[in-house]
Amino acid sequence: MNLFFAVLTPFLGAVLVAWASRFGRSHAAWAAGGVALTALAWLSPLLSQPFAGTTVVQRLEWMPSVGLDLVFRLDGLGLLFAGLILGIGLLVILYARYYLSERDSMGRLYAYLLLFMGSMLGVVLSENLIQLLIFWELTSLSSFLLIAYWREREMARMGARMALAITGAGGLALLGGILLLGEITGSYELSVILASGDLIRGHSLYLPTLILVLLGAFTKSAQFPFHFWLPHAMAAPTPVSAYLHSATMVKAGVFLLARLFPALSGTPEWSWLVGGAGLCTLLLGAVVALFKHDLKGLLAYSTISHLGLITLLFGIATPMAVVAGVFHIINHAIFKASLFMAAGIIDHETGTRDMRRMQGLWQFMPFTATLAMVAAASMAGVPLFNGFLSKEMLFVEASEMASQQSFGWLLPVTVTVAGIFAVAYSLRFIHDVFFGGKPLELPRTPHEPPRWMKVPVEVLVLLCLVVGLFPAQTVAPLLAVAAASTLQTALPEYNLAIWHGFNPALWMSVTALVGGVLLYLVRRPFSLLHDRFEGQLDARRLYNALLQGLMVIARRITALLDVGSLQRMVFVFIGFALLLGWMGWSGDRSVLTGSRPLLPVDAMSLLVTAVLTVISVAVVILHRQRFTALVLVGFVGLVVSLIFVKFSAPDLALTQLLVEVVTVVLLLLALYFLPQHSPVESHPLRRSRDGLLALLVGGGVGALAWAVLTRPHSSIGDFFLANSVSGGGGSNVVNVILVDFRGFDTLGEITVLALAGLAVYALLEKLHISGPSQNADGRDWNWDLHPVIMASFTRLLLPLALLVSVFILLRGHNLPGGGFIAGLVTAVALIMQYLANGVAWTHSRLSANMHPVVGVGLLIATLTGLGSFVFGYPFLTSTFGHMKWPLVGDFELASAMAFDLGVYLVVVGATLLILIHLGLMHGKEPVRGKGGH
Amino acid sequence: MVNFEIPNFVPALPEIFVLTMACVILIFDLFIKDNDRIVTFVLAIGTLVGAMMLTISLSETGRVLTFNDMFVSDPMGNVLKVFIYLVTAVVFIYSRQYLKQRGLFKGEYFVLGLFGVLGMMVMVSAHSMLTLYMGLELLSLSLYAMVAFQRDSLSATEAAMKYFVLGALASGMLLYGMSMLYGVAGTLDIAGISAVVAQSPNNIILLLGLAFVVVGLAFKLGAVPFHMWVPDVYQGAPTPVTMYIGAAPKIAAFAMVMRLLVEGLGDLHGHWQTMLVVLAILSIVIGNVVAIAQTNLKRMLAYSTISHVGFILLGILAGTENGYSASMFYVVVYALTSMGAFGMIIVLSRAGFEADNIDDFKGLNERSPWLAAMMMILMFSMAGVPPTVGFYAKLSVLQSIVQVDLVWLAVTAVVFSVVGAFYYLRIIKTMYFDKPEDTAKIEAGMDMRIVISLNSLGMLALGIFPAALMQWCIVVM
Repeated sequence: MNLFFAVLTPFLGAVLVAWASRFGRSHAAWAAGGVALTALAWLSPLLSQPFAGTTVVQRLEWMPSVGLDLVFRLDGLGLLFAGLILGIGLLVILYARYYLSERDSMGRLYAYLLLFMGSMLGVVLSENLIQLLIFWELTSLSSFLLIAYWREREMARMGARMALAITGAGGLALLGGILLLGEITGSYELSVILASGDLIRGHSLYLPTLILVLLGAFTKSAQFPFHFWLPHAMAAPTPVSAYLHSATMVKAGVFLLARLFPALSGTPEWSWLVGGAGLCTLLLGAVVALFKHDLKGLLAYSTISHLGLITLLFGIATPMAVVAGVFHIINHAIFKASLFMAAGIIDHETGTRDMRRMQGLWQFMPFTATLAMVAAASMAGVPLFNGFLSKEMLFVEASEMASQQSFGWLLPVTVTVAGIFAVAYSLRFIHDVFFGGKPLELPRTPHEPPRWMKVPVEVLVLLCLVVGLFPAQTVAPLLAVAAASTLQTALPEYNLAIWHGFNPALWMSVTALVGGVLLYLVRRPFSLLHDRFEGQLDARRLYNALLQGLMVIARRITALLDVGSLQRMVFVFIGFALLLGWMGWSGDRSVLTGSRPLLPVDAMSLLVTAVLTVISVAVVILHRQRFTALVLVGFVGLVVSLIFVKFSAPDLALTQLLVEVVTVVLLLLALYFLPQHSPVESHPLRRSRDGLLALLVGGGVGALAWAVLTRPHSSIGDFFLANSVSGGGGSNVVNVILVDFRGFDTLGEITVLALAGLAVYALLEKLHISGPSQNADGRDWNWDLHPVIMASFTRLLLPLALLVSVFILLRGHNLPGGGFIAGLVTAVALIMQYLANGVAWTHSRLSANMHPVVGVGLLIATLTGLGSFVFGYPFLTSTFGHMKWPLVGDFELASAMAFDLGVYLVVVGATLLILIHLGLMHGKEPVRGKGGH
Repeated sequence: MVNFEIPNFVPALPEIFVLTMACVILIFDLFIKDNDRIVTFVLAIGTLVGAMMLTISLSETGRVLTFNDMFVSDPMGNVLKVFIYLVTAVVFIYSRQYLKQRGLFKGEYFVLGLFGVLGMMVMVSAHSMLTLYMGLELLSLSLYAMVAFQRDSLSATEAAMKYFVLGALASGMLLYGMSMLYGVAGTLDIAGISAVVAQSPNNIILLLGLAFVVVGLAFKLGAVPFHMWVPDVYQGAPTPVTMYIGAAPKIAAFAMVMRLLVEGLGDLHGHWQTMLVVLAILSIVIGNVVAIAQTNLKRMLAYSTISHVGFILLGILAGTENGYSASMFYVVVYALTSMGAFGMIIVLSRAGFEADNIDDFKGLNERSPWLAAMMMILMFSMAGVPPTVGFYAKLSVLQSIVQVDLVWLAVTAVVFSVVGAFYYLRIIKTMYFDKPEDTAKIEAGMDMRIVISLNSLGMLALGIFPAALMQWCIVVM
């Protein structure tokens, strides 16, 4: 549990510090220091274990269902990093207390710093890779907050966003890599993954895994070509830079390389990718650093270069190189943190970071200058300082590689060149700042910083010296356990002595030192050249251009896809539905036509089909002339009812016929208010496009119908045919289904019909719209609205029609007919009276109030259903009996008859209700001339 | 003599309760004055709470079929229903202030909302294509009406029109597909269809039916290329309605996919997997890329929804129990998060000011640091940044597709979620780094602030302790 609490403490501490800052600036600092010490205290009981060679793993159940526990691991590598994080963290906390000005919020900075500390501890102490990733992303987030600490500054916001974008994206890539690792090894736990290196390297997913993991590591550690965010992150307060951007966060990338070294290294891919990126970064960082005028910019590029160095060492991948890499992690953290702090002091005391303005600061702050000189010497790799030792190891490894590869000599040469530049920029850091004349127009007169601001630098510089002079007595045990846990094998033989005799590495060191001094002396022309091209090679512009590009692409796609036109939407929708349908079709290469034998074709059917086709095409062509189109649509309906007749479905035919009549009348009433012609609104090209789509869809649906109809299928019709008489007491299956088998549905349907009628009534009541008084050609309608012949003819037809409807209603249970059809017949007969005789005439003879009819119909139907309760049966159970009826003959009286009566009344009432009110909409009399009511 | 058997009503008690209450509220609302409208609101919330208690009390019984096997009550359905109630209740609470300020605080919104909930419940519990379709249409019709609810708003009317036309088309496609499935299987029962499919998985009519069913489902989920309604409706509808559409119906749509594709057509997995891969990839790519270009927050969130739907589809298409539970986890998390994001728009809005442009969030940190922090958590959760719960949602979905060796799909999804992270970050940048343009006081009442805080902090808390929710999603599969 100790490890868990060690990680948790800084998170909780962040809240505490934010609260403590209310009581004063020092309180916040003390609280933050206390938190860091507490975290260290949690770790302390375990410190001895890695040295004894054991790996501490502590597990806490978290999400047992998905096999994700909080697992922490403390081994040599974790110990080293935890030490760096907490040790340097303490120094930074002390330093920041004096660095921040009165205006800056102390609590906020410390809270963020502790958040970061906790996240970073989480990264280095995680056993589970998913958990590692979570902390990894948290470091990105907390670094975002820290870089943007001075949020009123434009540069800070930009830098913070860029850092978050790059490292956050890298983190997602890493997530991909981790998922693949988990997939390959079956576990996300490091102990498993580190032990299955051969399995991973031999797996087909090795390369994608490697690339994704490296993307994560390289973005975090600012490796070429992702290095550009780090210089922009320098907008952060200097304590943050010293902590995050030299000692800890940017080391997370190389930490990952070290952590997964046993699992992923040892292949040519690893060497080329890791070594190549490291070498490029090493050289590029060193060269650019020399020409930066900003103090922190120089240090940032130097950091990039040193991270490249470490990466290169891991890329070389010999055990000795790994030892050197781990060693350089320690050394770089120590000297770079102290340099950043020194730079912060200079910035703090002079008010500027521009090296062109500050010179000769030695006379103002000799002590700080001495500290900075020691640290810079370490950075340059001057013997007797710690940086020399690990750099020397790199030179050894590089010179050994020279003999092994065909272009191997390139490696020592490049490394030496980078070394020359490193010496040159270190020299520049010292000489430009502390010597060489007097300072120019400094915003403040510099002097030595407060006592306690120097202490952290002193401690670190002392470490530089001690490690540099007595490596074997100080850092050796820590290095040994850290390197051993990185390699997961026995350590190679090595000697941390300063003097190794005259070997190639020594000559490389000498060359670097001498060359560096020379380069510094002749740097002016190069510097001018660099200044001229500054900005043109700025990665920030590339980054912005990328963002702009993304934006432009997004806008283009939006303009292309997101038009907001309904027609377009429908087109795309149907088009893709067609495509998916086609996919479904081609997914299986079975034939279109099934095995069912086709029926013989007779001349009559052929003729009817031909007529149907011709009329349908005519509707499409003439659809702009609305009246004609309507008549033609009616015609289609009639022909369809013929088809029902052909397939022996008289009920359907009757219903179709009547529904057709009612709908045509309905549409006619609506058409009255609309223009007689539809205008042409779309471009011919578009119409042909739509036409093509319509043809394709029609063809598809046709083919589908063909495929379905030519295949054998069992129809549910047989069941009803067999049970219609025995179960429902009627031989007309359609009617029996309606009133008996699915009587419940019918009850629902007539309720809906009644409601629809009422809704239309509610909408149209008292609504008056003036219709046109002329036709499309400007002629008035005929003055004779109700021609006499028509009127008297329909009056004659009425009783006949009513009789037919009663007949149909009564016989409906056994022969074609039924309540629904009968209702429609009655409705049509009454509508005809309205059409032929006028509303006034009809209303004087027939009440316009259809609500009671509808209501009574519903009531009868419902009561019939309830009636079965009286006899102890469930709702709507039907019964039937036979009786003689004069004229009609043997008559079967089923309880369903009553139900059918209800249906009949509702249909009549609702249909009339709708049609009458549609008809009444334009007032009692047609409007003459312009204007209306 | 055809008899009705009296079905076992108990498993459907929550549905019956919601139906009854919705009708009661509908009538009751006619008789109260505008000033007392709060009663309707309280009743609506009470209905949801009651339904939740009923559902929870039923959750011990396991899987029960009733109404001639047309209705199923099972653990998955119960969990989804509980979240539907929860999400809808919170949506109602968010909506109150908005509606009140604009004179829209009427019973219709809540009654339609409850009918929509009923539709969702029926969808979740459907064990027959008929029930499923009925639930879907009940939901859709309620939604059409709700979108058009603000009658004097032109954009809302247009959005409703588009939604209705396309929705009807999609329902038609779905029915067309269902009719083909019925033609082959001879039954509407999901289990019956599944049995037939197992026998003849290569029947061409079955495959075509599947294709059209997928079209209908893709539309309801809002997956590319059947997504065109989403941005228009999200932007055009009043914000509370957008919030309603964006949250609970996604959960129901997930249930519909599970019932139809997984339970009914599970044996056609090979076929629908291909279709869903196309839909998922298109959704993730188009959704994320187009979202970048949006200036209206509601529209941006619409495109973000589309990309999230892509992720939901990813888990389903994996075709494993891990994948299904990952998707379920994702959809629940998404519903909760999107609710918070729209809630924030409502919190910042006032009469005459919708706060639905990204620019309206400028400098929110200066106006209210707390609300800005809440929004940041929500955005991080949407982007899938740990330690918010959005991260686990993405993680579990990605894990499930890596397990079935669709590595390229996982990588594409990850790459485009990076793109997606960009526009969520832009909101954060706008809130923290830009100068506020709108300096009026934020009018939101204490209740709203508490709810939005709970909502956001919940995303964080679930991110730190995701175990319980994840456990549920796994157990019920």
